[in-house]
Amino acid sequence: MARPAAHSTAAEVNSQAMAGLGGGRRISLAPRGPRLKDVPAAWILITPVIVLFSIAVLYPLVETIRLSFFDIEGLRPAEYVGAGNYVELFFDAGFRNTIVTTLVFTLATTAISVSLGWFLAMLCAFAPGRTLPFRVMIFAAFGVSEAVSGYMWVSIFRPDEGGLLNTIVGVVSPGFSHAWLGDPGTALWAIIIAASWSAVGLPLMLCFASVQAIPKTVLEAAYMDGAKPLSIMRHIMVPLSLPGVRVAIFINLLGALRAFDIIYVLTGGGPVRSTETIGYFMYRESMTQFKLGYGAAATVVLLIAVLIISIPAIIQRTAGAK
Amino acid sequence: MTRTSQRGVSRRATHLLATLALAAGVATPSLAQDASGELVILNWQGGAEGDMWEVLEDAFVEQHPEISIRELEVTVQGDARGPMRTALLSGEVVDLIINTWPAFRRELAESGIIQPIDDLWQEYQWDEQLSQSWRDLGAVDDETYGLTYTYGYRSGIWYETDHMEQAGIDAPPATWEEFLDSFDALRGAGFEAPVAMPAKYWAHAEWFESLLLRTAGVEFAAQLAVHEVPWTDPQVKETLMTYAQMLEAGCCGSASQMFANDWDGEADQIFQADNKNYLLIGMWMNGRAKSEYGLEEGVDYSLFEFPDLGKGHDDTASVDAKELVLTTNGNNPEAAELFLDFMLSETAADILHENGYASPSNEADTSLLGPAQQIATEAVSGSQVQFVLGDLLPGDFVDEYRVQLQRFLQDPTEDTVDSVLQALEEQAQSSY
Repeated sequence: MARPAAHSTAAEVNSQAMAGLGGGRRISLAPRGPRLKDVPAAWILITPVIVLFSIAVLYPLVETIRLSFFDIEGLRPAEYVGAGNYVELFFDAGFRNTIVTTLVFTLATTAISVSLGWFLAMLCAFAPGRTLPFRVMIFAAFGVSEAVSGYMWVSIFRPDEGGLLNTIVGVVSPGFSHAWLGDPGTALWAIIIAASWSAVGLPLMLCFASVQAIPKTVLEAAYMDGAKPLSIMRHIMVPLSLPGVRVAIFINLLGALRAFDIIYVLTGGGPVRSTETIGYFMYRESMTQFKLGYGAAATVVLLIAVLIISIPAIIQRTAGAK
Repeated sequence: MTRTSQRGVSRRATHLLATLALAAGVATPSLAQDASGELVILNWQGGAEGDMWEVLEDAFVEQHPEISIRELEVTVQGDARGPMRTALLSGEVVDLIINTWPAFRRELAESGIIQPIDDLWQEYQWDEQLSQSWRDLGAVDDETYGLTYTYGYRSGIWYETDHMEQAGIDAPPATWEEFLDSFDALRGAGFEAPVAMPAKYWAHAEWFESLLLRTAGVEFAAQLAVHEVPWTDPQVKETLMTYAQMLEAGCCGSASQMFANDWDGEADQIFQADNKNYLLIGMWMNGRAKSEYGLEEGVDYSLFEFPDLGKGHDDTASVDAKELVLTTNGNNPEAAELFLDFMLSETAADILHENGYASPSNEADTSLLGPAQQIATEAVSGSQVQFVLGDLLPGDFVDEYRVQLQRFLQDPTEDTVDSVLQALEEQAQSSY
C-alpha cells in the first residue's frame, strides 16, 4: 500500500488506500454523478466560459498561427509563404542569439528569485507573526507593474554618479561610475537582478504556505526528539516545502520566458541587442518593423517552449485529480 | 411634347445643371466653412511638442467653435510607426494623421489609407503659402499627400553658452579641425566627454548622416537611401572613418556610456548636470530647453551649424519635416480640410514659432523666431538639403542600420568599419 504523504488530505489517503486494495486499479467510492450532457443547466453555466475562452484565447491563438504562414510587411497586403517564416527564423542569427539570451535570463531569474524566496520563507517560518509586514512588503513588489519597477531600476542603474548603485559603490571607490545598462557585459545581469527583485515575492509566499502546511505534530515530535532548528529546517521543512518550490519554479519559468516589459523599459533590447529575449524579438519584429507574419512565427516558437515546460508540470500537478 | 418645349426643357435643364455645377464649385469651401462635429487626429507626439499641439487645437476650435477635436494618441518609445499601424489596422477611424516619415507616407498611400490633396491644394490656393519644394516633399509618385506644417534642421549642434565661456571658446567651431580641437579646451574646463552621444536607440545615427552629407553630398545620400549605391561604397567608409576621428579624439566617453542614454537623457547631461557640451539633434531640443530647463534661447543656449569638412559638400544639411495627411475614411473631411488650411495660417505659424518650431508657411512672421531658430532657418535656406536618412530607409533595414552603427561605436577601427558596412550591405540586399 502506498504510504500517504504527510500533507495528503484524508480523501487522497482514502483514494490511495483504495487503489492499493484494488491491486493498482483505481476504485472511486464517490457516487457517480450525472454526466454533463444529461444536465442542460450545466451547458448554460459553462457556455459563457466557453465563449470568453474562445474570444480571448482560442481566436488569438488560431489567428497567430495563421498569420505565421504569411509575409505581412507594414500595411501592405499579406502574401502566403507557407513555412517560410519558420525557415527564415531558423537561419536568423539574431533569433538564435535571442534564444541564448532568453535561456540565460529565464534560468538566472528563476534561480535567483526562487532560491531567495525559498530562503526567506524558511526564515519567516520561524516567526510567522512577526515577519508578516516583511512578507507583505516583499510580496508588494510582485504586485508592482514591471514598467513602473523598471523606471525605478533605471534610476538605480543610472550611468553617472547620481545613480544609486554607482553611489553605493562610490563609497568604497570614490568617483566610481559605470553605465550598467549601457555595457553589453552588465546590461543583461542588471535586468536579471531587476526582474528577480520583482519576482521574489511569489516564491516566498508559495514556499511559506508549503512550510505552514507542515503538520505541527511533525515539528513538535522533532523538537521533543531534541532536533536543532537547523536540523529541523534541513530534514523537515526543506523537503516538505518542495511542492511549493516546484510551483514557484514553474510559474517563474513561464513568466521569465515571456519577459518583455522590464527589458523594454530598461534597455529596449540593447545595447547591440545584448538583452533581446524572444519576447522582445517578437515585439521588435511585429511592432517596430511591423513584420507581423515573422513576429507571429516567433510567437509560435515561444508558445511551443512554454508548452514544453507547462505540459509536464500540469500533468504532474493534476495527476490523480478527479 | 413639342420641339420648342423640348428645347425649353433642355435649356432649363442645362441652366439648372450649370447653376448646380457653379454652386458645387463655389460651395465646397463654404460647405467646409459650415463644418461641425468631431475632428479626429492621430497624434504620437508627447512632451513639449504634444503641449504645443493642444495650443494649436485650441486656437483652431476658437476659430471654429462648432468643431471639436479629439486626439487619438499613441504613445511609444522610439519609432511611432508600429503603434500607428496597429491603431489603423485595428479599425480606428481618424481624419488626419501626423506623419514625419516619407517611407510611411508611401506605405499609407499604397494601402489606400490616405488620399491625394492636389484638388484641395488648388481650391485653397496653398501655393500662395507654401513653395513648390514643400509640395514636392509631400508627394508620392507625382501626387501630393502631405501638407508640411513644420520643418527642422538636423545638422545643428546645440550647446550651453556658459560651457563655451568656461572653456575660453569665443566662437563656436566652424571647421572639423576646430571642432576636434575644442575637445581639449572643454576637457581643460572639466568636461570629460564634450559630446553627448545618445546611442541607446537611434540618435547616434545623426552624426553619421550629417557627416555623410558633408563627405559625399546630397545626391549620394539620396542614392544610398534607395540603395542605388552599395553600403560598401568608399564614400560611406570615408564617412565612418571621419566619425572615428571624433571618437578617437575622446569625444564621448566609453561605448557603454554612449549606449546608456537616449537623446533626452544626454540633453539632461548638458543642460542640467553640466557634464557634457555638444548635442547633435533636431529642433525639438529647442522646445525642451525652454519648457524642461527654463532656459532662454540665444542667451543660455544656442546651436551652430555642422562644422565644415572641406570636402566640397559643406553647403549641405540634413532636415526633417512633419506633415498632415488626409485619410480616405475619416468621418469629418470638411473639418479636416479646414484644419489643414489653418495649419498654414499666421495664427498657427505664430504658435509654432513661439514654441521653437519653424513654419514653412509664407504667412509666418519670421521676426518671432528665436535666435537659435534664426540660425537654423538660415542654415536650411542656404543649404542643399536632404531628408534625414533614417526616415527614408525601409522599416526592416533601419533597425539593423542603427545596431550596426552601435557596433561601430564599440570599436571604431577600420576592420570594424569594413565589417559593419558589409553587414549593412547584406541586410540591404534582402530589404530592398
